[in-house]
Amino acid sequence: MNRRYRPLAPGLVARLTLDTDPWLSCDDCFRLVDQYVEELLEAPAGAAPDAPAMLAHLRGCPACADETTTLLLLAAEDRGLDPGVAVARLRERS
Amino acid sequence: MTAVGSACMGTSTAVGEDWVRALSVPGPLQDEAMSLLHDLMLRAARRQVLRMTPMLGGVGLDVVDEIAHQSANDAMMAVLAKLGSFEGRSRFTTWAYKFAVLQAATDVRRRVWRERAVDVDRLELVPDRGATSEQYAEAVDLASAVRHAINTVLSQHQRRILLALVVEEVPVDVLADRLGATRNALYKTLHDARKRLRAHLRETGHLADLTSQAGTP
Ligand SMILES: [Zn+2]
Repeated sequence: MNRRYRPLAPGLVARLTLDTDPWLSCDDCFRLVDQYVEELLEAPAGAAPDAPAMLAHLRGCPACADETTTLLLLAAEDRGLDPGVAVARLRERS
Repeated sequence: MTAVGSACMGTSTAVGEDWVRALSVPGPLQDEAMSLLHDLMLRAARRQVLRMTPMLGGVGLDVVDEIAHQSANDAMMAVLAKLGSFEGRSRFTTWAYKFAVLQAATDVRRRVWRERAVDVDRLELVPDRGATSEQYAEAVDLASAVRHAINTVLSQHQRRILLALVVEEVPVDVLADRLGATRNALYKTLHDARKRLRAHLRETGHLADLTSQAGTP
C-alpha cells in the first residue's frame, strides 16, 4: 500500500491543534452570522463586536469563514462601504 | 418604488417585517416580492461562485451563471421555508443572502470534489524538511509529539476526521456527504480532537512550543 507523506510544517501543526473554544457549532454560526457581519460593519473603527465564540469558530472552520467573507462583502456593498476595508476588519479579528 | 423596496442595491425601504408579510400574503405584492427575493438570491449566489472560480479550474461565466441560478433557486426555497424564523436582528436582505451564500458555496465545493477521493488511511505525517537547522531539532520534536498524539490519544474516528479536514483540506460539507454525517457533527468531532490533542501536549510540555509557532504562517 503506497503511503502518502505530509510534512508537519508549523502552520499545519498550528491548525491541527488550534484552540477553538469557546464552542460554537456551524449551525449556530449560520444562525448568528448575519447579525455578526452587520455589527462588524457598523462598529466604530477599532471597536470589535464581543463575539469570542464566533471568532473561534471562524478561525477553526474554513467553510464558515469563507461564507462569512462573502456575506460581509454583500452587506458592505449594500451600505456603500469599501468591501476591502470590511474584509480587513474581519481578518484582523480572526 | 414598492413597499418592499429595491433589490438591485440590496436595500429595502421598508423594515424586515414588510418583506415577511409581502412574501407571505398572496397577491400582486407577493409576486413582486418573490421576484425581488430571487434577484437577491442570484446576486449573493453569483458573488460566492465568482469568489470560488479558482477552485473550479477556469470555468467560463456560463458555468458560473448555471451554478448561481441553481443555487439561487434552491436558496429561495430555503428562505421561504424559514421565513418564520426571521427575527429582525439584521436587515432582511443580509439574513436572506446567507442562505444563497451557503447554498452556492456548498454546490461549488461538491462540484469541485465530486471526482476526488478522500483517503486518509495511507496518510503519514512527517517532520518538516523546510525548517532551518536551529529550528530543526525543535520542529522534529514537536512534529513527533503531535504525530504521536494523533496516533495514540485520538479515537480512530477523531483521527480520520482531523486528517481529512485539516491535512487533506476536504471541505466539511463534502466530508459530511461522503460519511452520511452532518457538518455540525464533523465540526464537533474536529473541535473535540483538537481539544484532546492540546490537553495531551500540555501534559507532555509541548504546548509552549505550539504557542510560539502559532503565529508562523
Ligand atoms: Zn462552521
